[in-house]
Amino acid sequence: MVTLSQPLKTTVVIAIFFISTITLQAQNGEQIFKNSCAACHTVGGGKRVGPDLVGMSTKRSEAWLIKWIKSSQTLIESGDPDAIAAFEAYNKVPMPDQNLSDVEIKEVIDYINTKSSAAEVPVAATAAISEPQEPIKSSDIASEEEILLGQHIFEGNKRLANGGAACIFCHNLNTDRIIPGGLLAKDLTTVYTRMGGDAGLTGILNAPPFPAMTEAYKNKPMTESEIYAVVSFLNKVEKESTTQTATATNPLLKYGFIGFAMWVGIVFLVWFRRKKYAVNKRIFERQVKSY
Amino acid sequence: MDIRSQVSMVFHLDKCIGCHTCSIACKNVWTDRKGAEYMWWNNVETKPGTGYPTKWEDQEIYKGGWEKNGNSVSLKGAGKLRGLKNIFHNPHLPVLDDYYEPWTYKYEDLFTAPEGDDQPTARPVSLVTGEHMDVKAGPNWDDDLGGSPDYARKDVNFKDLSASEQEVMFQLERMTFFYLPRICNHCLNPACVASCPSGAIYKRGEDGVVLINQQVCRAWRMCVTACPYKKSYYNWHTGKSEKCILCYPRLESGQAPACMHQCVGRIRYLGVMLYDADKIQEAASVNEDELVDAQLGIYLDPFDPEVIKEARKNGIADSTIEAAQKSPVYKFVKEWKIALPLHPEFRTLPNLFYVPALMPGMATVKDGVYEESNTQFLWGGINNDRLPIKYLANLFTAGNTDKIVEVLKRLMAVRWHRRQTTVGDVEQGIVDMAMGEVKMAADTADAIFRLTSLATFDERFVIPPAHREESIEMLESTADVKGSTGFGFKETPKRGW
Repeated sequence: MVTLSQPLKTTVVIAIFFISTITLQAQNGEQIFKNSCAACHTVGGGKRVGPDLVGMSTKRSEAWLIKWIKSSQTLIESGDPDAIAAFEAYNKVPMPDQNLSDVEIKEVIDYINTKSSAAEVPVAATAAISEPQEPIKSSDIASEEEILLGQHIFEGNKRLANGGAACIFCHNLNTDRIIPGGLLAKDLTTVYTRMGGDAGLTGILNAPPFPAMTEAYKNKPMTESEIYAVVSFLNKVEKESTTQTATATNPLLKYGFIGFAMWVGIVFLVWFRRKKYAVNKRIFERQVKSY
Repeated sequence: MDIRSQVSMVFHLDKCIGCHTCSIACKNVWTDRKGAEYMWWNNVETKPGTGYPTKWEDQEIYKGGWEKNGNSVSLKGAGKLRGLKNIFHNPHLPVLDDYYEPWTYKYEDLFTAPEGDDQPTARPVSLVTGEHMDVKAGPNWDDDLGGSPDYARKDVNFKDLSASEQEVMFQLERMTFFYLPRICNHCLNPACVASCPSGAIYKRGEDGVVLINQQVCRAWRMCVTACPYKKSYYNWHTGKSEKCILCYPRLESGQAPACMHQCVGRIRYLGVMLYDADKIQEAASVNEDELVDAQLGIYLDPFDPEVIKEARKNGIADSTIEAAQKSPVYKFVKEWKIALPLHPEFRTLPNLFYVPALMPGMATVKDGVYEESNTQFLWGGINNDRLPIKYLANLFTAGNTDKIVEVLKRLMAVRWHRRQTTVGDVEQGIVDMAMGEVKMAADTADAIFRLTSLATFDERFVIPPAHREESIEMLESTADVKGSTGFGFKETPKRGW
């Protein structure tokens, strides 16, 4: 009977582990692209919020790409000319930082490279045409009902079909239509233009690229009609926002203080006739103290 | 009728010399522990005085006891709604300063101090913080500072005495005091039991001792507020409340409670009373001036065949009924009617009765003749008592002066009778008139005299057998362990080499 020595056993186990991960890599790249990139980018499908990534590796080095994907703003602040040019070219919409490891980014780059080479071949180009991006319905023509539906979804008055969280928990809008929202994520008053209009917002809501939002809507995707309603609502809000007075501070904080003061007042009144001091307080105060 | 047995007590205040031996006995046995140093399950107060904790009798401060509410009673400081309102912050609790901060002395300094010009001193050290401290008060401070304006004049029982009446009490040569030893009253209608949100306090079925289950207590401290006598204490170290347990381990083995056993003046009596539990609510809900009579009406005659029959039906052992028949408490309270409950207006129906002190009257020297007012015709001593009747009535009869005068007259009649018997300088007519007015027979007066001054240990403490062998059968089947108990080893014996 063959007996393996202990170090050899370990090596075998580790090797098996690596082999299994390698076979997963190709799928990983596609999966990560769909989850994290597809909201704003295509490969050979044209511009969205961000650029078409066809032939990306021929334009930028892998090291540059890894830096950019991890934190585009850091790269811009460091004064990289390519980064600043890209930022300004795309309406100064910052690309969100991606919480991906180097290995994962390389997988994504590999996936994009594979897809790019396919897209550059003329035959593949027809394939790209054969699966075109669906034309996105303009939210400018949305009916009042659809905008209202979007408002209800935003506020949480209407549940999302797949049970995702309502927008208002994390986001605020400067509008009289709804009560002030959460402060956990960005203010969405001007998100419509900021994030690239119908195409950009639809992409984001389809597969949210922001880490917290990704987690929140994982396995709970919004339906097409819900997305359209919310985008229409956000579009409307932005148009109306010029007529809104900006609230300098969050009124919830003010109400919180008022509520706290009232509570303290009630406690003071209800327990007004409580026993406040030791019965002998005045005698003890009069006594000579050595400490 | 729902007859139950209750271990009750009588303290004879005329015999109390205020030596605090009872307090020390109790402290040494039960409360000489961390967190319990400030507790005095038994304490002796000087009256007039503010007591321990200070002004405990003032329920406007501490909100203890029951209030009459229509035909029933409700808790003054706790209960469902009020209890809930104050459950996380109970504002009527006595604080440590209302009791006192317990301390000891650094005796070691007396031996280790370096040589100097002055004698070394032992500085007081707090038993709570361990720091040096100034002693601000003690558990019997109105005794140590007797008569001072801070303590004696602030006695809560002066509440309906006029300023001039109070002033007279503090005149030189008129000033007086007496002692009031207090333990838990093991009430028939205990406010502490009613107030406990955890249900940790219970009144033992077999003898009516009120106990706090230390496993169940959750430190809400509602009992501390609810007990109008402030005899439930919070142990800050264990986080549980504690109270007098009437030395039940001693009672169960036939011994008197430590405080009673140690009593130098032999003022304490303990015995069983049979009472009708169905009447408790009714008795606790009557008007203030009827409270004493209503409470005394609850206790039943243990010689009545009907009562004995009902008691047996309720599972009261024959030995307990026999103890009730011999009970000195029954004699003092029901037969002779010379013992009264303390502060019946708290409506807890306390089971500790006091024979009020028959004070020396005023003595004056007129034209060289010493004249004592209690030698004046019949009740002169009572009417000229140094303590106003009203004051005693506030203590023992919820303000009913007739009731207290009745008790004092009976005590006085015994005095007249015994003076005639032993000294013989009183006209028989006066004695007959006194005895006639209180409707007391000569042999009753002799019996009162005997139990008051000559009683033996077994006459003072008639403790019913606890029948532990029967109560253990309620918890476990004794047949299961038969044959498996006896000699044994706590640790496995080691054998071999």
